[in-house]
Amino acid sequence: MSTKKSLSEEYLKGLWSENPIFKQLLGMCATLAVTNAVINGIAMGLATSFVLIFSSVVISSIKKLIPNQVRIAAYIVVIASFVTVADRFLAAFFPPISKALGPYVPLIVVNCIILGRQEAFSSRNSVGRSFIDALGMSSGFILALLILSSIREVLGSGTFLGHQVMGSWFKPWIVMILPAGAFITLGVLLAIFMLIETKTRKRSA
Amino acid sequence: MSLSARMVVVLTVVGLISGTFLALVGTMTEDRIEMNRQSEIQKAIIELIPETESSRKIYEEKSLTVYESLDENENTVGFAVYASGTGFQDVITLMYGIDPSISKMRDLLILDQKETPGLGAKIADEESFLRFWENRNCENPLALRKPAVDSPEKLAPSEVNAITGATISSEKVLGIVNSSLARLREIKEEGKLSSEGGNVN
Repeated sequence: MSTKKSLSEEYLKGLWSENPIFKQLLGMCATLAVTNAVINGIAMGLATSFVLIFSSVVISSIKKLIPNQVRIAAYIVVIASFVTVADRFLAAFFPPISKALGPYVPLIVVNCIILGRQEAFSSRNSVGRSFIDALGMSSGFILALLILSSIREVLGSGTFLGHQVMGSWFKPWIVMILPAGAFITLGVLLAIFMLIETKTRKRSA
Repeated sequence: MSLSARMVVVLTVVGLISGTFLALVGTMTEDRIEMNRQSEIQKAIIELIPETESSRKIYEEKSLTVYESLDENENTVGFAVYASGTGFQDVITLMYGIDPSISKMRDLLILDQKETPGLGAKIADEESFLRFWENRNCENPLALRKPAVDSPEKLAPSEVNAITGATISSEKVLGIVNSSLARLREIKEEGKLSSEGGNVN
């Protein structure tokens, strides 16, 4: 990196300018699949954050020991270990959430956000910076899942975190909790984000 | 150290450390995960056969487990059957309670399913599906009522309701129940339901 960003910029880029979902379009599998209810979105966001933060710290601290040729294999072993920890933890202490997320917790291993950050950031930056970067990316990921799952749960089930928020007149749009609803919601959100981005760029130019 | 030796050493060490770490986490969570599963089953047995005072596992095979439910005088009040089978999308795991003579279905519960949300997933819903399973006569295989009716009184004693728009999921549940019932009778005839021993009530 030619110009070093300040630590707060390092954190904030994950929320907006390099948001993993809305800007980098990474980790779509988990994003689309589990956001049918807010609680699932939060749980997936936290599990992914746990894996991302710990993997980033571990990998940035051992980066000089790992030969370039086997780096991906070594990263995946580290990531998979933390994913298994997250999976077992959910199964032991939060069985209903573990059930709802099903196969998507083990699938965090192949979530591109995690391997992507190791390749693009942790393997080239200090432990502290990698930690801040992972924290920012995690916050951006949770934020995106929260927005997506709120829209889908409210429109698809008429509830928010399981509490009825729509009146009895409201007939839930079942499509919103089905896969198609995930694509539609994400598409609309991306369009809105692009619109805001183009507007702000025009203004600053 | 040559590069290839370093690659082998680094990967081995990373693998060993991860393995040890995972073994530790595994042993720490193992008991709790098993406990969760057991308490879920216990809760289900009491929900299915409310007069249960204690219960014990009396038979187990692939995708079928039978629990015997006893009242305070150690009399058999029924069996709770834990069965699983293929659904529309993934495995459906269910439990039902049945009287000791295997002729009357007490109630049905869906423990695990991944059917289509909003449609097939209604098999886990009391209002639209499960309430139609109470007190069914199951001396003969149960049959599915199509088109669905709106109240259990309108069903014949050995009929259960289908879910409108999710006939396949309804049929799958029915299939799991009917085939496990048939198997349960076979096991009973073979004398493998241990309650047949001492107290026949």
